[in-house]
Amino acid sequence: MTQRFPCKSSLASDLPGANRPHNSALGKLLSTTPQLWKGRRANHAQRTLSTGHARLDALLPGSGWPLGAVTELISAKHGLGELSLLLPALAGMSEQGQWVILVDPPWIPYPASLHGHGLLLEQLLLVRTHTEKESLWACEQALNGGRGGAVLAWPERISFTRLRRLQLAAGDKGKLIFLFRPEHALKTSSPAALRLQLEADAQHGTRVSVLKCRGNRPLEPAWIPRPYSQPHTQQASIPQIPGAIPQSAAAPTQLPASTAIN
Amino acid sequence: MRSGSSKLRGMLPLEKTTSDPCWLALHFPHLALDLLTRGQARNGSPIALSESVKRRELIIDCNPAALSGGVKPGMPVTAALGLMDSLQVVERDTEAEQRALQRLAAWCYQYSNQVSVPDDRNGLFLEAGASERLFGKPEALALRLGRELGQLGYHVMTGSAPTPEAAWLAARESLHIRSTGHIRQQTGPLPLERLQLDAAQRLAMERMGFRLLRDLLRLPRKALTRRFGPTLPDYLDRLLGIQPDPRALYQPPETFASRLELPAEIIAGQALLFPLKRLLDELCGVLRGGATAVQSVQIVLGHEDHDDTLLELGLQSPTQDPARLLTVLRERLERMRLPGPVREIRLEAPHLLKFSAGQHSLFGDTPAERQQDIEQLAERLQARLGRESVAGITGIEDHRPEYSWRTRALDEQADCTALAHRPAWLLPKPRRCTIENYEILAGPERIESGWWDGRDCRRDYFIVRDGHGSTLWAFHEYKPHRGWYLHGIFA
Repeated sequence: MTQRFPCKSSLASDLPGANRPHNSALGKLLSTTPQLWKGRRANHAQRTLSTGHARLDALLPGSGWPLGAVTELISAKHGLGELSLLLPALAGMSEQGQWVILVDPPWIPYPASLHGHGLLLEQLLLVRTHTEKESLWACEQALNGGRGGAVLAWPERISFTRLRRLQLAAGDKGKLIFLFRPEHALKTSSPAALRLQLEADAQHGTRVSVLKCRGNRPLEPAWIPRPYSQPHTQQASIPQIPGAIPQSAAAPTQLPASTAIN
Repeated sequence: MRSGSSKLRGMLPLEKTTSDPCWLALHFPHLALDLLTRGQARNGSPIALSESVKRRELIIDCNPAALSGGVKPGMPVTAALGLMDSLQVVERDTEAEQRALQRLAAWCYQYSNQVSVPDDRNGLFLEAGASERLFGKPEALALRLGRELGQLGYHVMTGSAPTPEAAWLAARESLHIRSTGHIRQQTGPLPLERLQLDAAQRLAMERMGFRLLRDLLRLPRKALTRRFGPTLPDYLDRLLGIQPDPRALYQPPETFASRLELPAEIIAGQALLFPLKRLLDELCGVLRGGATAVQSVQIVLGHEDHDDTLLELGLQSPTQDPARLLTVLRERLERMRLPGPVREIRLEAPHLLKFSAGQHSLFGDTPAERQQDIEQLAERLQARLGRESVAGITGIEDHRPEYSWRTRALDEQADCTALAHRPAWLLPKPRRCTIENYEILAGPERIESGWWDGRDCRRDYFIVRDGHGSTLWAFHEYKPHRGWYLHGIFA
């Protein structure tokens, strides 16, 4: 369709005249025909909320988390800073009196740490259910009731239709919903507005790549730096944790039973 | 000017200067039957009401299902049962009717602050003139009351007039009489059976050949007194507005209790929703009337041969919204197992609280409204998942991370120190691990505490990275057990 116009078609919106589209026949067509695909243009219909990380904002379409839509964060491992990607936005929401609802978090949220990142604990709600089905039901309820706020959930398995229901429920009220999903989610398709993959990268921090986003094509991955991302193997160069009592490091060597958490 | 007009008022007959009051009469022609059948969604099983008249059990009212089987009011009970053996005959309970009228008065209180419950008939009076600006003309209010009471399962006839007695007559005809001057003309053609007369008076009138109210109104007062005693002219004077007719006004109650019988036994929990919705609607009407609200409601389901089932609905904040109560109720019913069929439902609200409606903003986004939203969400979740399923979280002053938090109720304050360098997640219990796989990124941080409560510990915490690139929080413990443990995740 766009090829029938001789020039500048896909870049029309990047041109100086793009703000006043009625100047040209093409501009007129672009402004009156919603079916026309406008290449490389961010989806303006999508309202977003800044993530609070400059690099992440630059990566995401609309420069932020999509409001009223499902965001999936897929990672093979935990402990890659997946929650700290959200914390600035969540802290901002809690300061505005909006609620952050954690549905069946896999571990105990550490109040001192969350509070340290600016999240107001008064606005944090924990929901504990017994089964996966109840957990998803609770997510839907959390999305249906009230206005604004964010819902975080960790579904092990979730069907396409169930995801779609969450997507619809989130859309009605302009809420944020983040689903933390294991690696096998990569094999299935998803109606989520935004899918991010998180991978560990020893040198740069956490590699965030956009697998899918609405109204735009996936872009190059971004590296979000994490604290302590440079490894320190020598005892002498281990930085002190702020506020910690200086201590001569005594690391015993031999220890029993190893347990991996991931 | 002011003094002039008051002088003028003193000279004119009273009724021309003051605007006429407007009494709306509600007549419940099938009140006793409604109380029996309003638990049913549609015309269910045939049911009839009996009363003993001169030692004979007579049918006094019956539902359409019974009518279609040939049962008629006035028929002996034995004859009715002969016609229809499936007919359920229930004896009239006048006390239940009086209680129902009191409840209906409380419900009507939302439309008028002058409600009166007469003790000699199945009806109510409410003053509709003062609330005309809020609820429209008496005709409109009458329609509204008819519709809403219909939804609660009551049949009602309404009419209005400047005097209560005239309004009562008007209700049977759905009349709306505007001014005192019109009462005589509009009620004149009504038959005498409609008047509130005792049986002896009525018999005497029939014998004298009186048929219509008009016939009585033509007679001079003296003649009326002589023939029928002094009560009749007095009644007619009140009817026409010549004599004032002061009525005791109803005062709204401080508790609410309503009861519903189920003629057909209900076994499935979901089938209880319909009758329960009626009870909740009635309750919320009463709440609106008294500017009160409930935070908890008790529902007792009565069984024939089992102990009663008790259902307690608890909310996070007071409400007068039936939809909110119904959502909680629906969740509870869905998960409930009934020990046997339900024969009756009782709904009680022992504490009616003062209600102050929060201010609502145009876009519904004030802190109060968000608080309300989250409370309602918590109620819905708790109704299905149990009370402990929803909680907030708060810090506790303790250096040992595992003892430095606890869940809190939603209305409780949260209080916590801020430690941004700690991990966002804590493992429920520290887990033993080996150190070889880990790179140490930062540390140590010494935590030594708990000598006072017997859970004494001495640990050095380190921020470590495992082979997969996950950042974790591990500690080396010296006391009580030597060893390495994982305790948190930097997510």
